[in-house]
Amino acid sequence: MFEPKILGFCCNWCAYAGADLAGINRNQYPPNIRIIRVMCSGTIDPLYIMKAFQKGTDGVFIGGCHIGDCHYQNGNHRAKKRVAVVKKILSYLGIDPRRVRLEWVSAAEGQKFAQVMNDFVAEIKRLGPNPLKKRFKA
Amino acid sequence: MIKKVQELAKEYFVNEKVDVIFGLREKNNHVAPHIFKKVEELDNLVVSPKYPLLYNCRPSKKNIIRLIEEKYPNIKIGVIAKGCDKRALIELAKREQIDMKNIEILGVACSREEAIECRCPRPYPNNLLIGEKVEGVFEDKSVEDLLNKSLSERLAFWQYQLSKCIKCYGCRNACPLCFCQDCAMEQEEWSKTGEIPPEIPMFQFIRFYHLADRCIECGECEKACPMDIPLLTISKQVRRDVKELFNYESGLDIKQKSPLLTTLDETPMKEGVNK
Repeated sequence: MFEPKILGFCCNWCAYAGADLAGINRNQYPPNIRIIRVMCSGTIDPLYIMKAFQKGTDGVFIGGCHIGDCHYQNGNHRAKKRVAVVKKILSYLGIDPRRVRLEWVSAAEGQKFAQVMNDFVAEIKRLGPNPLKKRFKA
Repeated sequence: MIKKVQELAKEYFVNEKVDVIFGLREKNNHVAPHIFKKVEELDNLVVSPKYPLLYNCRPSKKNIIRLIEEKYPNIKIGVIAKGCDKRALIELAKREQIDMKNIEILGVACSREEAIECRCPRPYPNNLLIGEKVEGVFEDKSVEDLLNKSLSERLAFWQYQLSKCIKCYGCRNACPLCFCQDCAMEQEEWSKTGEIPPEIPMFQFIRFYHLADRCIECGECEKACPMDIPLLTISKQVRRDVKELFNYESGLDIKQKSPLLTTLDETPMKEGVNK
């Protein structure tokens, strides 16, 4: 059975607190995600996403505040635009853009965080392992 | 055509509209960028064959215009610019690499043959002074081929193409818009140093992403590549995507800020474009 490894970048103010709440509420979600806390979804350089795939991650999750709720006014606006462009480039390079997911999760949405994780892990399981990983084992 | 360019350049000189002219010079059957300081020199001015004017010189990593501006802040520079040079100038000015106030642009159109050779969709500058606007090339076979491939075919294609890379940094050095002092392509944390070929596709991804909102489709990266990697294919398509997503085209308007640097209120993003 393929157990994907997913890297999650969660913003300090919303998504990370949301993940925390999911834990406190005991909302169940698969243990495939490794969360890295960042200060804002706007700090995520697209190179982090590509490097994660290069290192063999099967999926990259990016969690930020809802549009308009960003702690830094408009960091998530940038994240949204960048991720849209990155998905395009990944698809031309032959990496399925569905492996990158950007979601807005507020600090009060523990339930939603668990829901998103369940969805995402199921999707990555459907997509299979990261094709870059296979190529580099040979 | 070339006579007209020379005449116009001389006229600018004589009327003291400019102090120096920056353009291509032919000498001993070679074409290279040159700063023309005297009227007589302008007899050797040429516009073709195409040679990049605005690449960033090593080791300072600054383009020639910026170097002139730094040394002689009050000099008036006339630039013989084709469509791509003009777009590069605008993008560089937008990113505060050069100051447009001392620059006089002499726009020259390319011929249809040149446009086909460069696969250029816009072979004329928007302040055209010499020549006639010819239609650009909008359909690109390499892009169509890539789009017709499935994801795994694309991966295999790039796996083959990028494995040819010898990490000469030619694509970056020839690019008019790769002006970062600390280039991510040289840094250990992004792409391991001392390896050939470099990590696929991380190494090239750095340029593809960084040029997403600034590529002007001059095609210098691809022309510079000694291994013939079709680098322009992705940059071309990403430029189209940026236009579709944000209704933004680089190199046209100096006042238009890059959509990746603005908020969603300033430049909205079209939803549902991603497949």
